[in-house]
Amino acid sequence: MKNIIFDFEYLAPKTLEEALTMLSQYNEEERKVIAGGQSLLILMRQKLITPQYLIDIKGLSDLEYIKFDKKEGLKIGALTIHRAVELSPIIQKEFSVLSEMEQNLSNVETRNWGTIGGDIAHADPCGDPAVVLIALNARLKLNGPSGERTMDAEDFTVDFFETALQPGELLTEIQVPVLPPNTGVKFTKYNQISGDLGLASVAMSITLDKDKKTCSDVRIALGGVAPAPIRAKKAEDILKGKKISDALLAEAGQAASEEASPTTDIQATDEYRRELVKVLVKRVGVEALARAKKA
Amino acid sequence: MSEYSIIGKPTRNVDGPAKVSGEAIYTFDMVLPNMLYGKLLRSPYPHAKIISIDTSEAEKLQGVKAVITGKDTPGGKYGLWRRFPELCDQTALAMDKVRFIGDPVAAVAAVTAEIAERALDLINVEYEILPAVFEPLEAIKDDAPLLHDDISNNINITRHVEWGDVDEAFKNSDYVREDRFIYGSQATASTEVHNSLASYDKGTGRLTVWSSTQSPYYLQLGLADALKMREGDIRVIKPHVGGGFGGKNSTMPDSVNAALLSMKTGMPVKIVYNREEEFTCTEHRTAMNLAVKMGFKKDGTIMAKEFKLITDGGAYTALGPTALYLTGTYATFPYNIPSYRYDGVRTYNNKMWSTSVRSFGATEAQYATEIQLDRAAHDLGISPIEIRRKNAMTPGYEAPGQYKVGSCGLLECIDKVEKRIKEKWTDLSKDEGVGFTTFAYMCGGIFNWIDTPYAFSGAMIKVNIDGTVDLFTQASDIGQGTNTVNVMICAEELGIGIEDIRLHPADTATTPVDLGAWASRETMMNGNAVKDAARNVKEKLIEIARMKLGENIVYDLEAKNKRIYLAIRPERGFSYYDIVKDAIKLNDGEPIIGVGHYTPHRKGMVSPAWAFGSMAVRVKVDREIGHVEVKDVIVAHDCGQPINPLGVRGQVEGSVHLGLGWGLCEEQPTDNGMVLNPSFADYKIIRTRDMPQIELHEVLTHEPEGPFGAKESAEGAVGPTAPAIANAIFHITGAEFSSNTLKPEKVWRAIREAEEKAKKPAKR
Amino acid sequence: MKKQLKFIVNGNPYDIWIEPRLLLVQVLRDELRLTGTHRGCDSGTCCVCTVNIDGKAVKSCSVLALQANGKEVLTIEGMANGPKLHPVQEAFVDNWAFQCGFCTSGQIMASNALLKENPNPTREEVQHAMDGHLCRCTGYNMINEAIRDAAGRLQAQKSEEKAK
Ligand SMILES: Cc1cc2nc3c(=O)[nH]c(=O)nc-3n(C[C@H](O)[C@H](O)[C@H](O)COP(=O)(O)OP(=O)(O)OC[C@H]3O[C@@H](n4cnc5c(N)ncnc54)[C@H](O)[C@@H]3O)c2cc1C
Ligand code: FES
Ligand code: FES
Repeated sequence: MKNIIFDFEYLAPKTLEEALTMLSQYNEEERKVIAGGQSLLILMRQKLITPQYLIDIKGLSDLEYIKFDKKEGLKIGALTIHRAVELSPIIQKEFSVLSEMEQNLSNVETRNWGTIGGDIAHADPCGDPAVVLIALNARLKLNGPSGERTMDAEDFTVDFFETALQPGELLTEIQVPVLPPNTGVKFTKYNQISGDLGLASVAMSITLDKDKKTCSDVRIALGGVAPAPIRAKKAEDILKGKKISDALLAEAGQAASEEASPTTDIQATDEYRRELVKVLVKRVGVEALARAKKA
Repeated sequence: MSEYSIIGKPTRNVDGPAKVSGEAIYTFDMVLPNMLYGKLLRSPYPHAKIISIDTSEAEKLQGVKAVITGKDTPGGKYGLWRRFPELCDQTALAMDKVRFIGDPVAAVAAVTAEIAERALDLINVEYEILPAVFEPLEAIKDDAPLLHDDISNNINITRHVEWGDVDEAFKNSDYVREDRFIYGSQATASTEVHNSLASYDKGTGRLTVWSSTQSPYYLQLGLADALKMREGDIRVIKPHVGGGFGGKNSTMPDSVNAALLSMKTGMPVKIVYNREEEFTCTEHRTAMNLAVKMGFKKDGTIMAKEFKLITDGGAYTALGPTALYLTGTYATFPYNIPSYRYDGVRTYNNKMWSTSVRSFGATEAQYATEIQLDRAAHDLGISPIEIRRKNAMTPGYEAPGQYKVGSCGLLECIDKVEKRIKEKWTDLSKDEGVGFTTFAYMCGGIFNWIDTPYAFSGAMIKVNIDGTVDLFTQASDIGQGTNTVNVMICAEELGIGIEDIRLHPADTATTPVDLGAWASRETMMNGNAVKDAARNVKEKLIEIARMKLGENIVYDLEAKNKRIYLAIRPERGFSYYDIVKDAIKLNDGEPIIGVGHYTPHRKGMVSPAWAFGSMAVRVKVDREIGHVEVKDVIVAHDCGQPINPLGVRGQVEGSVHLGLGWGLCEEQPTDNGMVLNPSFADYKIIRTRDMPQIELHEVLTHEPEGPFGAKESAEGAVGPTAPAIANAIFHITGAEFSSNTLKPEKVWRAIREAEEKAKKPAKR
Repeated sequence: MKKQLKFIVNGNPYDIWIEPRLLLVQVLRDELRLTGTHRGCDSGTCCVCTVNIDGKAVKSCSVLALQANGKEVLTIEGMANGPKLHPVQEAFVDNWAFQCGFCTSGQIMASNALLKENPNPTREEVQHAMDGHLCRCTGYNMINEAIRDAAGRLQAQKSEEKAK
């Protein structure tokens, strides 16, 4: 079986500050951060990543938290494990879509050790949390040598496995604003095998007017069908300000499938992935709408 | 009801406590003192000449103990079809050229696995790249590059079978249809990878090999041929094995090179494949192209069948010809086919070779047959169940010159499943459909391609003074439960308890030859050998009991419930334990030894007996995205007398799982000979959430050839699974499939096509 | 450079020095010779290597051994109570919930963690919790039945203990 066959120095900072200092001591090529290692260790075993210094941030318990406040919204520390997000009562109550997403993210074993921050930072275009967070209009907090900054989750992933993180920066927190009234959110991904990485995924957040008829705001995010998760803005425009019907959702699905830029690989062709987007947008829309009406 | 005290009763696996406590030792877990770790350097090219190999840098690396290349090997050629020397086309390491990506070129032994792996990077091989060929239809062309110099058109082996007047029968048919199919391969994907540990004793010149194998005997022969040694100087031990599924019959480079490295270093050497090697360089199910023509009477009676097959053999022979033979045979099962013509060709090409995977031949042949039958039934206006019932094999059926069927409960199986569909699936939605199939499977193979002079199975029994029994058999338990079956058979025959028997399995030095775990042969063949050995012992004990009773020879004695007694007056008899003591004491202390063996006689060319069954699946199709959900499965299975119902169920469950995989999601796409999905992340195997429940009905028959009437249960249910699904989709959507692996995209496209076709006016 | 690893395995404290590159599964199998934990893949996708860390099911091939520092690890070898099998193990034997047995340690360790969280799971809940586990032999249904059977046994054991 494959093991890691090269040696490296292992560093385990106790605090965020210590971690940032260590990061600044080595250059980008020599070092790597490990959180839960669910993705990273595989790459190291394949010799695709061969750091000389491995900085283990999994032990940074100050970045392991889930907080909620009616004004500030939800804050999740980057080192919170997937399973904690899944099982958090406050998340189940206020942002059930996050918990639902987690339930189908890989398996219990991955979720018990892998972190939500690591998932986002890994920037796999098929990663699930980023897609949902974009629909939820979330922001990400980054800490680095020049201090702290926040950015829209939407802008974080820039390409296949590439993020907006600057050298020496860590993703530290996920911030999700309180849902506006009359909002329903739904996420789904599709693959033939349950729990597998999605061939395509869709998250949609629909906000209705006071009368609960017209769509006042909508955010649609797509995963697995572009180099990074994207927003389907044309599809959003089709729904915004309208009374959402099945026909309108089908139209939005068509628009979203045109906004996607999927590739063909051994699992599916680009054409089929577009078709998935078309169908999933429609289906997710129906459910998000129903949730918005109930909210 | 049953006259048996052990056979037919749900019985715990004799290896259970060890396997659930982590104590069962697999080759994977073994370490010997001073053991070295071996690794193989593999070819990066599908076809290339080796110009030179420079191992000097690797040898200098600290911790490396040996590096070998083809030149350092005895160069013995080996293969499973030993009866035909020209089909023994493998060597331990490439001698002059490499024939697929992954063909081993050199082997390293070092004090750690990490060092061995680093050493691989230091070996310098100069190749001259040769043109390569990957597809069977390309490989047979006159201008195709040749894999083996002396083999023209890359034709490995051909097969022709014919009976009846096929052309005449087609002429007399009311309805003839021809369909083409093309299948991809399927990985065995055992959870334990291939691995072997070899230890050579320089003093005696003897070799011991522990290996994750399905057949210690085949490995012993393969090693003897490869190393040019006497087979008796090689001892193969099979510890617990983490699954085989057909991929561990052949002698593989892990065993041969571990042996060579151990011979060179004088230290034990272990080679463990990684998962990528497992996917790219171990045996997989044969990919193939089929053309099948069938003729029917208006009422659905089959008149004739013609079957043309070309298989994707890959670089070497191994068990590939068996796949070719069996596909041609299974194409006639389980139906009465009055005239039949089969032509099969196995071709070489520059990919990893293909051979057997669980239910090989049957899965491939049945997919075509069962799909074709439903299409024919549809056109003829007959129900899928009726067309099968009409043509079903019955007891005593004979295919001229080929095979004979003994017991056969097929019609009962069809009735049972039909009844259960009617009772159970009364609420089908418009997106749900039912697929119905039938199947048959062999109970071990007859044709002696391995060229053994021994009986196909043997067993030995030693009875100790306290009545405990040591049972020695080479049968390979690779998870299917053979160890438990053999102990049960031995206990039943001797009339003792399972706890009285200690099993010593699968060590070529201490057990008589058995051909191993393939073609569902162990229960039939080894079971018979064990029963024979137990009978042999029983006769000795009965002789003593009779003497003590002083009864005339006309009175039969029986051994049951730990007693030996007069059959007509059970109260007259003795404790089994007392008789054992007497037998040893009265016989000058001579140990009680029993031997037994089994070889099929006058049973045709294929198998001594056949199991039968039928299956129905309830399938839901998501028409918009092509997702197929298998919601429920019903199986009726005639496996003769089930020995252990728990084991039988386990085998059927596992078979259906493998069939679902081949049918729905498993495939091995390649690009210029490179496997594109060599990991469990990319090779999709059904996990528990997508596994339907299976309702299993045993249809009891008594197979005269089987031990206590038993037949196969380990593979039959693979084959009917995929076509049942395809048929169900066909009935709901009209979508037709000519290949396996019905991934959602394929289903989605087929549904679109069917919709387009439905819009156009019919041509006929 | 070797690093110190202090952790508890099956109730026994260990204080060892290891190469940082070692995965937890390597330390368990190769250093501590606890070979009941198996390995099935190189991509974290089969769960054959599952152990419990602080009571949770985790893939031991996807954890750097040093990350287990200060933690409590339970492997298949720690399940039985002397010669007496754990009820989950008993249920696996009685239900023929394994064949080759190579995936079994991982299946049992995950079942153990599941039944602590959810003492009475439905078929669907078991399916969901065990979904990462690849088994090439059994088709999973008999494992599912064994886990639910084990749930019953554990509950019976509990009420027996209470009665005492
Ligand atoms: C079998 C399997 C199936 C999976 N299926 C899914 C799935 O369906 N959906 C899904 O979304 N994911 C899936 N994943 C991915 C996995 O869940 C995540 O990638 C994982 O949780 C990453 O978290 P980690 O803590 O383990 O990160 P690590 O593996 O430790 O790190 C991943 C990358 O992120 C960097 N990193 C980690 N934390 C930070 C940080 N705080 N700041 C900056 N950089 C950081 C690391 O340097 C590394 O490059 C699957 C993984 C496996 C093994
Ligand atoms: S060995 Fe496959 S997940 Fe750990
Ligand atoms: S029992 Fe063999 S892999 Fe599960």
